[in-house]
Amino acid sequence: MSIEEPISKNAPRVKMPIADALRSIQRPKFMGITFDDAMHYFFRGNATVSILVLFLIILFLFKEGGEFFGQNTQNLEIYRKAGLEYVDIVRSRVDDHRSLERFLGDIRIQEFKNQNENAEALAAFDASVERFSAAIDGYQGFVSEYADIAKELKEKYKVGLDLEVAKKNFQKEGKFEESSKIEIPVVDFEAETKVYRDSLTQFKALNETYQAEVQSIVDSFPPMPTAELQPRLDKFRDLVKIQRDNVAKLEGDLLLWDWKKPVGWSESFTSFVFGRNWLTASFWQDWYGIVPLFVGSLMIAVTAILIAVPFAIGAAIYVNQVASAREQNIIKPYIEFVSAVPSVVWGFFGIAVVGQLIRTFSEQGVVSWVPFFPISERLNIATASCLLAIMAIPTIFSLAEDAIQNVPKAYTESSLALGATKFQTIWIIMIPSALSGIVSAIILGLGRVIGETMVVLLCSGGRIKIPDFSSGLGALFQPVHTMTGIIAQEMGEVVNGSIHYRALFMVGIVLFFISLALNYAAQQVVKRYKISIG
Amino acid sequence: MTHAFSIRPTKAKTVQTTAFWIMRGMTYTIVVLATLIFGTIFWKGGSTVFQTSYPFVNTSFILDRPETLHVATSEGKKLQMGDKEWRAYGEKNPDAVIEDHKTYVYSAGGIFPCIVGTVLLVLGSMTIALILGVMSAVYLSEYSKHGLFIEWVRISIANLAGVPSIVFGLFGYGIFVIFFGWNVSLLSGWFTLAFMVLPVIITSSEEAMRAVPQGFREGSLALGATKWQTIVGNVLPYALPGILTSSVLSISRVAGETAPIMFTAAYVVRDELPWEVNKFSDFFFQGVQALPYHIYVVSSKIPQNEYTARVQWGGAFVFLVVVLAIAMTSMVLRSKMRKKYRW
Repeated sequence: MSIEEPISKNAPRVKMPIADALRSIQRPKFMGITFDDAMHYFFRGNATVSILVLFLIILFLFKEGGEFFGQNTQNLEIYRKAGLEYVDIVRSRVDDHRSLERFLGDIRIQEFKNQNENAEALAAFDASVERFSAAIDGYQGFVSEYADIAKELKEKYKVGLDLEVAKKNFQKEGKFEESSKIEIPVVDFEAETKVYRDSLTQFKALNETYQAEVQSIVDSFPPMPTAELQPRLDKFRDLVKIQRDNVAKLEGDLLLWDWKKPVGWSESFTSFVFGRNWLTASFWQDWYGIVPLFVGSLMIAVTAILIAVPFAIGAAIYVNQVASAREQNIIKPYIEFVSAVPSVVWGFFGIAVVGQLIRTFSEQGVVSWVPFFPISERLNIATASCLLAIMAIPTIFSLAEDAIQNVPKAYTESSLALGATKFQTIWIIMIPSALSGIVSAIILGLGRVIGETMVVLLCSGGRIKIPDFSSGLGALFQPVHTMTGIIAQEMGEVVNGSIHYRALFMVGIVLFFISLALNYAAQQVVKRYKISIG
Repeated sequence: MTHAFSIRPTKAKTVQTTAFWIMRGMTYTIVVLATLIFGTIFWKGGSTVFQTSYPFVNTSFILDRPETLHVATSEGKKLQMGDKEWRAYGEKNPDAVIEDHKTYVYSAGGIFPCIVGTVLLVLGSMTIALILGVMSAVYLSEYSKHGLFIEWVRISIANLAGVPSIVFGLFGYGIFVIFFGWNVSLLSGWFTLAFMVLPVIITSSEEAMRAVPQGFREGSLALGATKWQTIVGNVLPYALPGILTSSVLSISRVAGETAPIMFTAAYVVRDELPWEVNKFSDFFFQGVQALPYHIYVVSSKIPQNEYTARVQWGGAFVFLVVVLAIAMTSMVLRSKMRKKYRW
C-alpha cells in the first residue's frame, strides 16, 4: 500500500487541505520512476533471480539426468545385439552351480570342525565335491569361448557407433568433406549372430552329460559323518534338483533370445530402478542399477536413526522436563553445538578411531558367542551408522524439544492436578500430544542422514554390493556403498555427457526426490495430527 | 521415621525415579560421548598445533604449504623430513647410504593454502548468498502480495533447504564447471555454495522480518515515510539480529561442507597460493585447496600411521576450532539479541 493513493477509490472525496498538500508533494523522478519504485523493482529483481536459480537447479538436474534412459537403452541394445546377453544366460547357470559349490564348502567347514580338523574323515566327501565341481566344465568352456566372440562383436559395433557420432559432429560443423570421408562399417548382425544359433546344437549333448553326472553324484553322495549336518545335505539335494531343471530349460531359454528384439524404454527404466548391479568401466558390460546403492543408503540411515532416536528423545524429555534450569542452560546449547561439527570431521574420526574400536570390540572374548563376530572389515554399515547417529542426535533433539515445549501448559497442569506423577504426565499426556512433532523430527533427521555424504564416503567401506542377509544382523557389519557416496566418488572421473555421467545425475534426482518426500511427510504429519487447544 | 504424612514409596514413584534416571543417563551419554570426541581431537590435534616453547603455536603448521614427508634410515640414524629439507640433505650428503626410504604425501609442512582457500570460498559465497538472499527475503516479506503463487514459492524454497548438499554439488558441477566452462574454479565454488545456503538464508531472514510487529510499519507509514524509508528505518534494524544469526550459522555451514566443492572448486594440491596469478581475471578461474577437502584427502588417500597422524589430526583440529568458533559466535549473538529485543 503506498501513501500516495487514496485509501479507497470509491470513497467520497472530502476536501482536506492537508491531504491535498501531501498529495501534491512531488517525489524526484528519474525516467518516470521514483526512488521507491526503483527499490521495489530492485528487490523484485533480486527475488526473481533467486527463485529462478533455485528452479533452474531442478530443471538442470532433470535435463542432465533425463537423457540417461535414452543412452541406457542404447547400452542395453549393444548388450543384446552383440550376444553378450546370450552368453550371460549360460553364465548365470554356471554361477548358480558355483554357488552350490560354495554351499557344500560351507558344510565342509563345519564338518571339518566337528571332525577336529581331521581331513581323512572327509576324503569321500571331498571327492564328491570335486566331481560336482567338474560337472559344469562343459558349460564353463562354452562361456569362455563365446564370451570372446561376443566381446569382439561388441567392439566392432561400438566402433561403428563412435564413427557415426563423429560424422554427425562434422556435419553439424559444416565440414561435409570430412564427414563424407568417414565410412561407417555396417555390422551384419544376422550373419554375425549365426554363431550363436549354431551353438544351440551343442546344448543337447552338454545337457545330457550334465544331468547324468549330477544325478550320479547326488545318488552316490556319502552320508555326512555327523548326523546333524544331514539336513543341510538334504537341502543341497533339493537345490540341486532345481538347478538341474534350470539347466535342462537352458536350451529353451536360449532359443527365445533374439538379437532383433527391440530394447524398450521400460527395460531401460527397470534396469536402473530395479537393477541389482552398479558396474562401471567393466570390460564386459556396464550396469547402472541403483538397488545396491539405495539399500546401502537406507540401511545406514535407518540403523543410524534407530540408534539416535532413543537418545535424542530421552534427552529432549529430560532436558525439557526433568533437568534443573542450570543443567538446561548448559546441555541444550552443548548438544546444539555438536550439530555444527562439519561432517568431514566426523568421517575422519570414524576412519581414525571408531572403525578400529568396533573391530577391536568384536574380537573380544566376551562377545565371541555372536555368530558374525569377529568382523573382518573395519569400515562397514555399523561404523557409518554410529557416526551418523551422533550427527542426527542434535537435529532430532532440538526439534523434539520444541515439540514438547509446545504442548499446552493446561494439559500437563490438569494431569498433575489430578494426582498423576510427573512421569505419568509425561508418558500419558505429554508424549502423545507432542507425538506429531516428535515423528516429524525423526523424519527430518532421517532426511538429513540419507543426504549426508562425507561420513558414508569415508566410513561405509565402499563396496558396491547388496549386503548378504543370510547371516541376519551380520549384514550390518558388511561394507556397502551409498547413493551420496557414489556421486562424490565417481563424479570427478567421468567423461562429460557419457552414460555414466547421466547415471550419476539420475542418482542425484532420486536423492532429490527422497529428500523432498521426507520433508513433505514431516510437514504433513505435523499438519494432520497437530493437537490444538480449544 | 514414618508418620502419617511422610512420603510413602509407591509403584508409580519407583517407576518415575527409574525412568528419570534412564533419561538422565541417555542425556549424559550424549554429552560425555561428544566431550570424548572433542577431547580426542583436541588432544591429538593440539599436539600438532601447539608447542611448549615460545610462541606456543606451531607456526610452521599454520603458515607452511603441504609437503611430502620422507622417512628413512641412514647410518643408523632415523630421518624424518619434508621434501625441501630432504633434497638439501641429499645434496649435502651425497654418499649417505639410505635405507627403508618411504614417502607420505602431504604429511609434512602445513595447511596454509587450505586455510586461505577456505576463507576465500566463504567470503565469496557468503557475499553472493547474502545479497541475493536478504534482498529476496525483503521482497517476499514486504513487497509481495500474499497470493497462492508466493505461498507456493515459499514452500518450495523451504523444501529446497533440505536437499542434500551433494545434489547442489552435482548441479554446480554440471552448470558452472561444464556448461559455463568455468572449470574447477573459485567462481564455480562460490556460486555452488551460495545456492546451497540461499534457501536457508531466504527462509530465516524472511522469518526474522515477519517477526517485526506490523505496528512498526504502520506507524512509520502513518508518519508519511515511504515504503523504502519504512523498510530501512523500521523493519531491517529490528530484523537484523535474526538475519545476522542465521547468516553466521550459514557461514559455519559453508565453511564445513565438503561435498559441494569436491568437484567444483577444490584441488587436491596446488603449488601457487591464490594471489600468485598472472593476471587479475585468473584469480576467479583458479581452483583452490580447501580445508575440508584436504581433511578428506589426507584421511582417505594416505595410510593411517604415526607419520601421517600429525597432519590428519592437526588439520581436523584447526578446522573444528574454526567452524565451532563461528557457530559459537552465532549462538552468543542469538542469546544476546533475544534479550535485547522483546516486544
